[in-house]
Amino acid sequence: MSEEMTESTSEDEPTQGVPEPSYDWMGLTNQWGTRVKPGEHGLRLGDLNVGIYGEIPEYWDDQTRRPRGALPRAGIPPLPFSLRSKHEMWADCAADLYEEAIQRRWIPATEVPWDTLEELPEDVERAVCQICTELSQCANTELEIITYWQDRMSYGYFEVKQYLATATFDCARHLEVLRKRALSNGGGLGVESRGRVNRMILESSGGWTEAVVYLYLLRGTYITRMLTGLLSFAHNDAEAFIYSHMLEDHARHLTYGYDHLKYAATHHEGATAIMRTLLAIGEGHMARELKDGVVRSAMAIIFGGGIQGGRTYGMERYLLLVREYLEDYLSICEWLGVDRKESLHPMLKSYLED
Amino acid sequence: MAIFPSEEWFQEVRQVYNSDISLHSGGGGACETTAGFYIGDARYLIEFAGLTCAQVRQSSDAELEESDFIIEMPMASWTAMVRDVQQNGKASSSQTLNSLDLNMEEGIARSPVDDQYKQDLFYRYNQNFQDFFNASSRVETQFEEPS
Repeated sequence: MSEEMTESTSEDEPTQGVPEPSYDWMGLTNQWGTRVKPGEHGLRLGDLNVGIYGEIPEYWDDQTRRPRGALPRAGIPPLPFSLRSKHEMWADCAADLYEEAIQRRWIPATEVPWDTLEELPEDVERAVCQICTELSQCANTELEIITYWQDRMSYGYFEVKQYLATATFDCARHLEVLRKRALSNGGGLGVESRGRVNRMILESSGGWTEAVVYLYLLRGTYITRMLTGLLSFAHNDAEAFIYSHMLEDHARHLTYGYDHLKYAATHHEGATAIMRTLLAIGEGHMARELKDGVVRSAMAIIFGGGIQGGRTYGMERYLLLVREYLEDYLSICEWLGVDRKESLHPMLKSYLED
Repeated sequence: MAIFPSEEWFQEVRQVYNSDISLHSGGGGACETTAGFYIGDARYLIEFAGLTCAQVRQSSDAELEESDFIIEMPMASWTAMVRDVQQNGKASSSQTLNSLDLNMEEGIARSPVDDQYKQDLFYRYNQNFQDFFNASSRVETQFEEPS
């Protein structure tokens, strides 16, 4: 039987039958009265790092989802965050890259000028579609390895977690746009990659920094060169739009990756020695992947304008691309304090010899 | 008629670029960077802030060394690029900043302090700079006679 409810007669009298709320929680805060003002570029994530909210500890021992700066609550069961040291994920640029990523988003469905696609010679269309197939697997690998480790990163470093959320969305967009390009001009997807380096990245189970060494330093630097080459040889405005926007997204990912490796190298004793060991192993896989005939011949066909040109100018241009990639790679390694010039894998070294 | 290269020419390009958002294909989002340009004997600083080109001005070597990255190529390449934009309404594929960077042995973009983070800004904001130079197709241009 329900009790008869009576309406309250005044705002001061609580409604009968409704428990009176407790406001005990209202006094519970680490820091009250915070008033961050928007700056010249709006109210950005990094602007919020004021007072205790800007204290970013070297080690975050809280295993809950407590937002940094909030009061902890007793009795919350721990979660399996295994990355709890700042050097394991941090990059000073993460908050800014998050803002940049959400501002510079693009929409493949409507912004790519798809109507500029024109029929290409079959060998060229096949080469473009093969590269789309290859790059979409790279994007998928990046997406999977980020989400694997993101789940293990503690909430004390939320800037990095939020930035990485945008990176996974970028990867999803790359998957989308590459698939759309392959299926929109009379071709289709090509053959699956052997995925030697993809597997190496996905199996880098030692930590996120180790994954970043493979994902961004060793392979990502190569993908930048591929994208700049593809952009330079784009066949129409649609392809130019796709590659230029992928390049900008990818450059943002590398900025985080390089910045994180620099942070790890300068804040964690022994990090550079570990990177050196990882690269000595990884270079072998990268060298074998570069030797694989599918990507190199497809890129040569694109650069040479067909099979015929691919055998001469196109292949020369591709080999120059690999050489430029290795020069970039060695220069970044040196910047990180992980000099690889002398001990570069012999198969990779051969690309640098005339 | 503005002469390329000159501060007046860059100001006119800046005005065109800032006044028509349809020229902004580079993601349409914020761009925060200052780049230096070596064009013949002249030095220019171009600053992007948010959605606009905030400032363009003639500069000194010392100021350029403080910029995020520097773009440098022979005067003939600059002229060919701007002429190409004038003729085609935008850079043709061999005359984009990306293609010129690829096709010149040392590239065209570098960080003055060998800072990889800043060097990457050339790739992150590549389209903003390309859009900026493409906007010059709407600026009536006279080319400086080679001395």
